[in-house]
Amino acid sequence: MSCTLGEVKNRADFIIYWGGNPAECHPRHFTRYTLTQKGKFLPRGRKDRTMVLVDIRETMSAKAADIFLQVRPGKDFEMLTILRALVKNQKVRAEAAAETGLTLEQLQDLVNRMKAAKFGVLFFGMGLSMTRGKHMNSAAALTLAAELNAFTKFVAMPMRGHGNVTGADVVMRYTLSYPFGINMSRGYPRFNPGEYSTVDLLVRGDTDATIVIGADPGATMPKPAIEHLKRTPTIVLDPKVTHTSKLSRVHFTTAATGISAPGTAYRMDEVPLPLRPALKSPYLTDEEVLKRIITALQKKPAWQPAVKGGEQIA
Amino acid sequence: MLRITGGKVYDPKNGVRGEIRDVCIAGGKIVSDVPPHARTIDASGMIVFPGGVDVHTHVAGAALNFARGLIPEQHRKSRPIFHTPQCRAGLAGSTPTTFATGYVYAGMGWTTANEAAVPILSAKHTHEELADTPIIDKCCCVLMANNEIILDLLETAEFERAKQVAAWQVWAAKAYGVKAVNPGGVAGWKWGKDCKGLNEPVPGYKNVTPRSIIKALADIIDQLALPHPLHIHCNNLGAPGNYTTTLETMKALEGNRAHMAHLQYHSYGGDDWFTMKSASVPIAEYFNAHPNLTCDAGAVLFGDTVTITADGPWQHLLYELTGRKWGNLDVENETGCGVVPYVYKEKNLVNAIQWAVGLELLLLITDPWRVCLTTDHPNGATFWRYPEIVRLLMDREFRKEQLKHIPEKVLSRIVLPDLDREYTLSEIAIITSAGPARTLGLAQKGHLGIGADADVAVFNERKDAMEMFSYPRFVIKSGQLIIEEGELRNSIEGSQFASKPTYDSAIEDYLRPLFSQHYTMSFENYPVTEECVHGLNVHQCGSCTQPG
Ligand SMILES: [Zn+2]
Repeated sequence: MSCTLGEVKNRADFIIYWGGNPAECHPRHFTRYTLTQKGKFLPRGRKDRTMVLVDIRETMSAKAADIFLQVRPGKDFEMLTILRALVKNQKVRAEAAAETGLTLEQLQDLVNRMKAAKFGVLFFGMGLSMTRGKHMNSAAALTLAAELNAFTKFVAMPMRGHGNVTGADVVMRYTLSYPFGINMSRGYPRFNPGEYSTVDLLVRGDTDATIVIGADPGATMPKPAIEHLKRTPTIVLDPKVTHTSKLSRVHFTTAATGISAPGTAYRMDEVPLPLRPALKSPYLTDEEVLKRIITALQKKPAWQPAVKGGEQIA
Repeated sequence: MLRITGGKVYDPKNGVRGEIRDVCIAGGKIVSDVPPHARTIDASGMIVFPGGVDVHTHVAGAALNFARGLIPEQHRKSRPIFHTPQCRAGLAGSTPTTFATGYVYAGMGWTTANEAAVPILSAKHTHEELADTPIIDKCCCVLMANNEIILDLLETAEFERAKQVAAWQVWAAKAYGVKAVNPGGVAGWKWGKDCKGLNEPVPGYKNVTPRSIIKALADIIDQLALPHPLHIHCNNLGAPGNYTTTLETMKALEGNRAHMAHLQYHSYGGDDWFTMKSASVPIAEYFNAHPNLTCDAGAVLFGDTVTITADGPWQHLLYELTGRKWGNLDVENETGCGVVPYVYKEKNLVNAIQWAVGLELLLLITDPWRVCLTTDHPNGATFWRYPEIVRLLMDREFRKEQLKHIPEKVLSRIVLPDLDREYTLSEIAIITSAGPARTLGLAQKGHLGIGADADVAVFNERKDAMEMFSYPRFVIKSGQLIIEEGELRNSIEGSQFASKPTYDSAIEDYLRPLFSQHYTMSFENYPVTEECVHGLNVHQCGSCTQPG
């Protein structure tokens, strides 16, 4: 139930942002893709679109919204469930609605608008996907959008973080089947977020060494994880010296991708964009540094017993 | 250099049907002879086939990768590919990872694959995946039948310009062929609608109908002299009674070349899910009489899989039927796609009919050169289950055995129990290699004549065809020994075929402004550059004078 951002630009006459603050976190989102752009089927741009913001507090984004719905903190899942019930014309008690901090009339009005839209889109941010209920909330948001397709066209899309997070996710999936939280210690990919995710491994102290590429866990991760990064050999590849660099054993300054190194970035809708560097860098690219590390490692004896090549394949 | 000696050679293109003769290889090609010091493989008791060619599969791209993310619970049960000095790690299963895809295809003797559905907007991504798919050679088809720039031009009857745009798009995507998926229906889906018949206007248009799209694209492709004809996924996929739409589509294509993709999904009779029955007989009858057409089976096997198609509306229907997970991904101005995990069950009436229809078409179509073995991987079944289908085709007793497992009331709705035909090994070599190579227009593939690419599979000759074709003893790709004594010993990079039709570069001046209006990517970033495509092998079409 998703689409590329151009579909939103050309068609979306009804836009919901839920648990995100695009005005401040994704400033170009409004102007480039969603709100103000004139679309193929929305020639008047902003005037042809309705925007609803659902959040626990009135952020800068609320100013851009036609309707702001302030949900009580931690009640996103309840609100989504009520909306799903209303979409199916099921009875909902006014008291149940009130628990979300909104009235039944407000929720019914939202459902009426969603059904009346020609092309609706629900963007959900970290406020929905990373708070109480996490996966349940995201799943409920996706299900709501899926169920609305019995009435009209409706899509949902997560608002992902900064940098090329999407790109890493995409490449992990096509090489190893899973987006993140992958354990290769048995020689093939295994997936268990919560067990194999980076933060969990570091907090538990399961790793012997860490390579950090284009991220700064030293600034964002919980204290036990940072302590473990300090305790064990940590290698950082980054165009600048980060918090993590300061606690690492080795820091490689690398060329900045997109500025002085070529590459591919993926937008949040997984559309790939070629990056063409405008500048030359005296530093190696991340790729070149990693290749040299791999070459050096290959000269060392293998730590695991060799598996015969042909056995595993049909 | 290599000599394969003592094996029974099946090379249908060159009229060789199981004769014991030598196959010699040098410089990546089949040659007439090699010096005595060349390595010799004793293939006594074995059969020698040209490497398999898959005319329609989904092994790379945004849609497939979207599916990978949707089914972690299936990956857990998948066959692991261990990291070794020859192999990168990965998982097989219903959506094999890129490296696994190359190993597993080669591991069953298949050496070329056509990725059947590429949107231009994410073609760069598809090529990144294909570059990471080792051993096999690849090509792909770009999606066009719902491209709004093309449809807008057909609305205003600007055929010549549409042709220029199409030619530009083929090269921009570094595609080899053109695929039409549910013509007009996916564009309609963007408004939550679909196109059921060929003659109703496409939602949002006055003059454009599925019929006019099909005809225009087939004409464009024939006039551009692309090596592969229009690759068409008809309207109404999967729906009971859809065979009439399929017949109409084939009729609309009279006078053109066309490849009917996964015909199984388009050959159903009945009025609804309760009265659904096989319509393979009328489809095969029409098809047999019309040599301008080729097809692939899109056969179904029972078991777990995931369905992925650019046909968004069909996927929504499947989601409503199964109530299971559903993923949909519409691509601006170009196409859509849907992903639904699916289990084909023996005891399910609809699934049993689908299983029968795939086999019926393979048995009823008389000319093996015009029907290719596919499962529309992973839609009908994963490609690594092809040997199961080969056995079903070669062994009617085995078929009878399998028919006992499906519900009895299905038997009166299918014709499979009445079909006694058994495929010969020569015919298997045609539907798995020689035929698809010819359909794709890849003259150097699918045969063992002098000058052909040295892609060869050697199998132990056995009575059980499934066992025989599951585990080749030797596989040679581009003259390199990849599988030896049943083990993967070597991994190489494959090449990629793209077509370059002639177009007037002034068409870019027409496209540029349209682009900034309708797309969210800059025009310069849209085409895939040649450097992005690993092992690019360009087919210059027709009377092209532009430099490659
Ligand atoms: Zn397909």
